[in-house]
Amino acid sequence: MNIGNDILTALPEIFLACSAIALLMLGVFRGEGSSRLIMTLSVTALIVTLGLLLMGPTRNTSAFNDLFANDGFGDFMKMLVLIGAALTMVMAQRYIEREQMARFELPVLLLFSTVGMLMMISANDLIALYMGVELQSLALYVVAAIRRDTLRSSEAGLKYFVLGSLSSGMLLYGLSMIYGFTGTTNFTTLAEIFANGGEVSLGLTVGLVFLSAGLAFKISAVPFHMWTPDVYEGAPTAITAFFAVAPKIAGLALFVRVLMGPFGELVDQWQQIIVFIAVASMLVGALAAIAQNNIKRLMAYSSIGNMGYALVGLAAGTQEGIRAVGVYMAIYLFMNVGTFAVILCMRVNDRMVERIDDLKGLSRTNPLIALALAIFMFSMAGIPPLAGFFGKLYVFLAAVESGLYILAVIGVLTSVISAFYYLRIIKVMYFDEPSEAFDQPIGREMAVVLTATSVIVLLFFIMPSPILESASAAAEAFFPAGP
Amino acid sequence: MNLALIVLLPFIGALFPAFLIRSGRNACAYGTGVFTLVAFILLLVQAPAVFSGQVIQARFEWLPQLGLNVNFFLDGLGFLFALLILGIGLLIILYARFYLSHNDPMGRFYVYLMLFQGAMVGIVLSDNILLLLIFWELTSLSSFLLIGYWRHLPEARQGARMALAVTGGGGLALIGGMILLGQIAGSYDLSEILQAGDQIRSSSLYIPALLLILTGAFAKSAQFPLHFWLPHAMAAPTPVSAYLHSATMVKAGVFLLARVWPALSGTPEWFYIVTSFGLVTMIISAWIAIFKDDLKGLLAFSTVSHLGLITMLFGFGTPLAAMAGVFHILNHATFKAALFMSAGIVDHEAHTRDIRRLGGLLFLMPITATLALVAAASMAGIPLLNGFISKEMMLEEAVHTTYLGQDWILPVFATLGALFSVAYAARFAFHTFLGPVRDDYPHKPHDPPFGMWLPVFILVSLVVLIGLLPGLIAEPLVKITTDAVTGGNTPDYHLSIWHGFTPALFMSMIALAGGLTLMALYLPAKSFRERFPRPEAKVIFEAIIEAIAKVSGQITALAHNGSLQRYLAVMVSAIIAVGFAGYLGSTPLGAGERAMVPVNWPGLVAWVLLVAALGATLMYHHHRLFSLILIGVVGMVVSLTFFYFSAPDLALTQISVEVVTVVLMLLALNFLPKETPRESSSLRKLRDLVLSGLAGLGVAGLVYAVTTRGFESISDYHLAESKPGGGGTNVVNVILVDFRGFDTFGEIIVLGIAALAIYALLDSALHGAAQRRLSKWVPEGVRAMDPHPFILVIATRVLLPLALMVGVYIFLRGHNQPGGGFIAGLVVSIALLMQYMASGFSWAQHRLKLDYHGLIGAGVLAAGLTGVGAWFAGRPFLTSDYTYVHLPVIGEFELATALGFDVGVFLTVVGAVMVALANLSRVGRRADAAYEAQEQATDGKEA
Repeated sequence: MNIGNDILTALPEIFLACSAIALLMLGVFRGEGSSRLIMTLSVTALIVTLGLLLMGPTRNTSAFNDLFANDGFGDFMKMLVLIGAALTMVMAQRYIEREQMARFELPVLLLFSTVGMLMMISANDLIALYMGVELQSLALYVVAAIRRDTLRSSEAGLKYFVLGSLSSGMLLYGLSMIYGFTGTTNFTTLAEIFANGGEVSLGLTVGLVFLSAGLAFKISAVPFHMWTPDVYEGAPTAITAFFAVAPKIAGLALFVRVLMGPFGELVDQWQQIIVFIAVASMLVGALAAIAQNNIKRLMAYSSIGNMGYALVGLAAGTQEGIRAVGVYMAIYLFMNVGTFAVILCMRVNDRMVERIDDLKGLSRTNPLIALALAIFMFSMAGIPPLAGFFGKLYVFLAAVESGLYILAVIGVLTSVISAFYYLRIIKVMYFDEPSEAFDQPIGREMAVVLTATSVIVLLFFIMPSPILESASAAAEAFFPAGP
Repeated sequence: MNLALIVLLPFIGALFPAFLIRSGRNACAYGTGVFTLVAFILLLVQAPAVFSGQVIQARFEWLPQLGLNVNFFLDGLGFLFALLILGIGLLIILYARFYLSHNDPMGRFYVYLMLFQGAMVGIVLSDNILLLLIFWELTSLSSFLLIGYWRHLPEARQGARMALAVTGGGGLALIGGMILLGQIAGSYDLSEILQAGDQIRSSSLYIPALLLILTGAFAKSAQFPLHFWLPHAMAAPTPVSAYLHSATMVKAGVFLLARVWPALSGTPEWFYIVTSFGLVTMIISAWIAIFKDDLKGLLAFSTVSHLGLITMLFGFGTPLAAMAGVFHILNHATFKAALFMSAGIVDHEAHTRDIRRLGGLLFLMPITATLALVAAASMAGIPLLNGFISKEMMLEEAVHTTYLGQDWILPVFATLGALFSVAYAARFAFHTFLGPVRDDYPHKPHDPPFGMWLPVFILVSLVVLIGLLPGLIAEPLVKITTDAVTGGNTPDYHLSIWHGFTPALFMSMIALAGGLTLMALYLPAKSFRERFPRPEAKVIFEAIIEAIAKVSGQITALAHNGSLQRYLAVMVSAIIAVGFAGYLGSTPLGAGERAMVPVNWPGLVAWVLLVAALGATLMYHHHRLFSLILIGVVGMVVSLTFFYFSAPDLALTQISVEVVTVVLMLLALNFLPKETPRESSSLRKLRDLVLSGLAGLGVAGLVYAVTTRGFESISDYHLAESKPGGGGTNVVNVILVDFRGFDTFGEIIVLGIAALAIYALLDSALHGAAQRRLSKWVPEGVRAMDPHPFILVIATRVLLPLALMVGVYIFLRGHNQPGGGFIAGLVVSIALLMQYMASGFSWAQHRLKLDYHGLIGAGVLAAGLTGVGAWFAGRPFLTSDYTYVHLPVIGEFELATALGFDVGVFLTVVGAVMVALANLSRVGRRADAAYEAQEQATDGKEA
C-alpha cells in the first residue's frame, strides 16, 4: 500500500478539506468580521482545487484500497461542482453582508459541503458513498438554517434536516441490504459479481430501491422532492443559489456513478425506477410551477423538473445517455447560476423582493438584467438556439435511441407546459407596466457573473465542443471498451 | 457556400439597423434592404441550376455526434419559398419605411424583421431536421418580438404571448416528432429521410411521429382548433401581418407538410387527419371572416381559411393535389400580401380599420383602391387572375377525391368554402372601397406616397400576370416545386386559364353566384349568425390557462402545504409503495432454507416485554417521564437479549449506556413540560397507523426472509484472529481497539465533539432570550422538600469506591474478558453521576476539581499518540503490540499497547458524560436561583 500515491490521487479533495479546516481555525482566531477575508480565501481554495483537479495526472485510478475512484466522469462532474460552488460563493458575499448574516462559518460550511460532494462523485464503495453524502448534507442542514433568528430560515433548515435524516436512513437501509445480499461494499467487486452473472435476488432489488430513494431525495426528484420548495423559499437567497447548483450536480453524478458503475449490468432492474422518477419529476416540475408567484419557489419546481430531464438521460443507460446527463448538467449549471444572480439583484429600497410581479417592466427599468433573465428563461424553456435546447435535445435523443419513446414524448410535452411559465416571466418583464426599479448598482462581481453566464448560454451553439467533448470523455468512463 | 451565405445575410443584416438608424430613416431602411437584395440576387443566380433539376447542397459539421449539422440544400420547394421570403421581404422593407411613424423605433423593427427573415430562409433551406427545428423556433421567437412591437398596446402584449405559447409549444411538439422521424430513418438529414418513405410509413412509430409533426405544423399554420392565435397576432404593425402572418411564417406549417410529403403522405391516417383539419379550418374560418368588421381581422381569418385549403390539398396525397397546393401557396402569398398592405394603407390614411366606418374610398384613394380590388378579386377566384386558376385546380381535385367512401362530401364542402371566400372578398371590396363617399372618416384619406403603394403594385402585377399567362410565368416554377414535393412524380399538367366545361368550372360559378348572393343578404346572414353562440377562442384559451393554473395551485396547496408530517407521509408512502411493488413484482421472498428455532420461555418473555413496552410508549408518549422509563425497559430487554445470545460484553455496554442516557435525559427533561401537547387529529393518527403498519409488515417480511437464509458470518474470522492478531481474547474489545481501531478513534472524537456541542447549546441557554425564559421558569408539580435524601447520600458515598474499583477492574481485564475502556468509562461515569444526583452538584464539584473539557482532549490525544506510536515500530497507524506483565496482587496479565488506546477511550467517555452533566447542572442551578428569588419576592409581598 503506497499512501503517497493515494494522497496524490485524492489531492484535490484533501487540499480542499485541509483548506476548510485551516479557514475554520483562521475564522475562530480572528473572530467575527473576518467573513469577507474567509470568503475570498474560500473561493481561492476552490479555484486552486479546480487547478489541482485539472492538472491531476491520474485517470482511471483508484486509491485507499479502492474506496476512491478517479476517472473522467468524476473529473467532469467535480469541475462542474467546483465552478458552481465558486460562482455561487462569489455572488453570496455582498448578499450576506447586506442581510447582516456575514459569519465566517458560512463559507467554511460551504467548503465542507463541497468536499462532501467531491467525495460523493469519487465514491467507489458504499461506505465512501455514505460518508460523502453525509458530509455534504450535514453542512447543508446547518447552512439552510444559518439565519436562526428568522422563522422561515430555521423552519426550512429543520424540515430539511428531518426529511434528510429519513432519506439517509433509507439510503443506509438500502446499502445494508445490498451488502447483506452480495457480501461486499466495493463497487468494483459488485460490478464484477453482476458481470459474471451473479444472482439478482429480491433482497438486492429492495436494497436498490431504497438506495435509489435515498439518492432521489438528494437531487429532489419526485416523490422525494417535498422539501425543495420550502427550503428554496425559506433559506437565504444566496444559500438557495448554492443549493440549486452544486449539490444537485453532485447528487446526480453519484446517482449515475452508482447505477452505471456497480449496477451497470442491472439496467433492467433500475430502469423502471428511474423512468418513473423522471416522469414524475418532469410532470410535477411543470404542473406545479404554473401557480407559483414566488420566483424562488418557481425555481424550486424548475429544478425538480430539470432533474427529471437529466434522469431521462440516465434512464437510457447508454453512453449517449450519460453524455447527455453531462451536457445537461453543465448547461443547467450556467442557467441556474445566472438566474439566481438576477434573483439576488432583486432589491427594492434596500429590501429583497422575490415575487414574480416584482419583475414587472424590468426591460425598461433595467434592460440589461432583463435581457439576461430573458436569455435564461428562453434557454430553460428549451427554445433554440439557446443552450437549454441542446441539453434537452441530447437527453431526448438518448432516450429515443434506447427505445424509451414514451419517456421522450412525455419529456417534450412537459417542456411545452414548462415553457409556458418561463415565458410568463419574460412577458412580465417586457410587457407589463414597470413597478419599482431595482436598487443600483448591482455590484461588479454580479455584473461579471451575469455577463459570463448569459454569454455562455446564448452562444453555446457557436462553440459547443468544449462542453460536449468533456462530457463525451466523461461518459466513456463507464464504457471502457466503448467506441 | 452560396446557400449558407443566403441564410446568413439576413442575420448579418440584423446587426446593422440599430446603428444605421442614427444616420436617418432612409439609411436604415435601404441599408437593411441591401442585405435582402444581395441574398435575393444570390438566390436568383442559383435559378438556372434549380430549373435544370439539380439539388444544390452546402454542408458544414456542427455537432456530428448528435447528427446535427449545418446542412443546406436548395431544391424547387426551397427555391419557391426562398423566393417568396426574400422577394416579399424586400417589398415589406420598402413599405415599412413609409408605414412606421416617427415615434416608432424603426431600428428595432428592422432588427427583428431581419432576424425573422434569416430564420425563415433557414427553415426552407435546411437539409437537417434538427437545424430546421432551430430555425423554426427562431421564427416563433422573432414573431413574438414583432407582434409585441407596440408594447404600449395591451392587445399586442396578449397577442404576442398567445402566439408564442401556441407556435412555440407546437415547435416543441415538433421536436419530439422530428426526433422520432430521425430515429426511424436512421438519419437527421432530410435528403435521406425523404428517401426512406416506405420504411417510415411501415414503422410502429409512424403514428406518434405523424401526430407530433402535424401538431407543430398545424400550430404554426393556424389550423383549427389552434387557429385562434393568428387573428390576435394582428395587433402587430401591418408590414408584420403582411409578411409573417400571411406570406411567410404561417406558410412554414404548410411548407413542412410539403417537405415531409414524400416521407409521410399516402397513408389513410395522413389523408384523414390532414384533409379533415384542412377542410374544417377552411370552412369555419371563411365563415367567421365574412362577419369581421376589422379589415385585418377579416384578412386574418381569410388567411386561416386559405391555409386550410392548402393543408387539405396536401392531405389528398395525390401529386396533382400537391401541385395545386404549391401553386396556391404562390398565389396566396402574392394577393394576400397585397391585400394586407392595402389594408395597412387604409389604416394609415383613414386612421381606422373598421369596415363599418369606411366605404367609398375608391374615389378618395383611387390607386390603392384599384390595386386592392384586383387583389380581392383574385382572392375571390375571379377568372383571369391567379387565385382563379389554383382554386379551379383545388375544386377539380376535390371532385376526384373520395372521403369516407362518399364522392360528394369533398366537392360540396369545397364549393361551400369557395362560396364563403367570395363573400368575404366581396365584403372587403364593396364595404371598404365602393359605396358613397362619407364625410365622417377619422382622418380624410388620400393615396399614400409612391414608396408605399409601389410594393402593392408589384404584387398585384404578379397577380395579373400569373392569372393571364400561367403557363409562361408560373408553370416552370410550380413544376420544379412539385417535383421537389412529390419526389419527381409531377403529373403532366399544364397551367392554363381554360380547361373546358369541367365540373370545377360549374362549382366555381355556383360559388361566385352564391357568394355574391350571400353578400347581398349580408344583414340577414349576420343576424342568422348572431343567433348561435360564438365561442371566442381567446376567452377559451385564457379560461383553459386559468383553469390549469387553478388546478396546479390546488395541487400545490394540497401537496406542498408546508406540513412536515404530510411530507413525511408522502415520502414514506412512496417508499412503501415502491418497496411492495418490488416485493410483489418478482418471485415472493419466502422462507429460506434455515429451519425456525423453537420458541422458548426466556425469549417469549423478552418478546412480550418488548412489545408491551413499545405499546405503552405509543399510548403514553405524551407523558415524557413515563416514556423515558419505558425506553429504559426496552434498553434492558435489549441488553438481556445480548446476554442471552452469549455476548456479555455487549450486554454490559448496553446496560451502562442505557443508565447514563436515561439519567442525563432525566435531568434534561426536568426543564420541559411534563406532557407534550396533543396535536394530531384522529384521522391523521389512523393514517399514520396504516403507514407504520405497512412499513412494519414490509420490514418484518424482509427480516424473516433474511434470517431464514444462510449467511457467512465474519465472526469466525475475528474469533480466530483475535488472539494472534490483536493479543486479546475479548473479540469485541480487540475489534474496538485494534481491528477497527481507526473507527473507534473516529468515534471518540465524535463523542468529544458531541459533548462540546452540548456545552455550546446549553451555554446559549444562559444568555439572551433563552435565559429570560429560563428566569421565568416555574417547575410543574411539587418540589421535593428534601433535595438530598440522607439514605441516598450515604448509599452513594459508600458505593463510590466500590464502583471506581469495579471500573478499574473492568478496564484492566478488558482485553481478554468482557470489559474495556468504554464500559469502564461508563461505569465510572455512573458512579460520579450518582454523587452529583444524591449530594448536589456544588458539593460534588467542590470535591472533584477536574477540567472535563481537558479530560476529553487528553483522551483523544492519548488514543492518537498510541496510534502514532505504532509508526515508530515501523507499523501502520494503530497497530498494537503486547507483552505480559506480572503485578503482585492481580497476578499476571497482558499489557498491550492497546491499553494506551483504551485509556484514551476511557477518558473521553468520562469527560463527555461529565461535560453534559455539568452543563445541565449549570442550567438547573440558574433556574433554581431565579425560582427562589421569585418565591422570596412573593413571600415578601405576602408578609
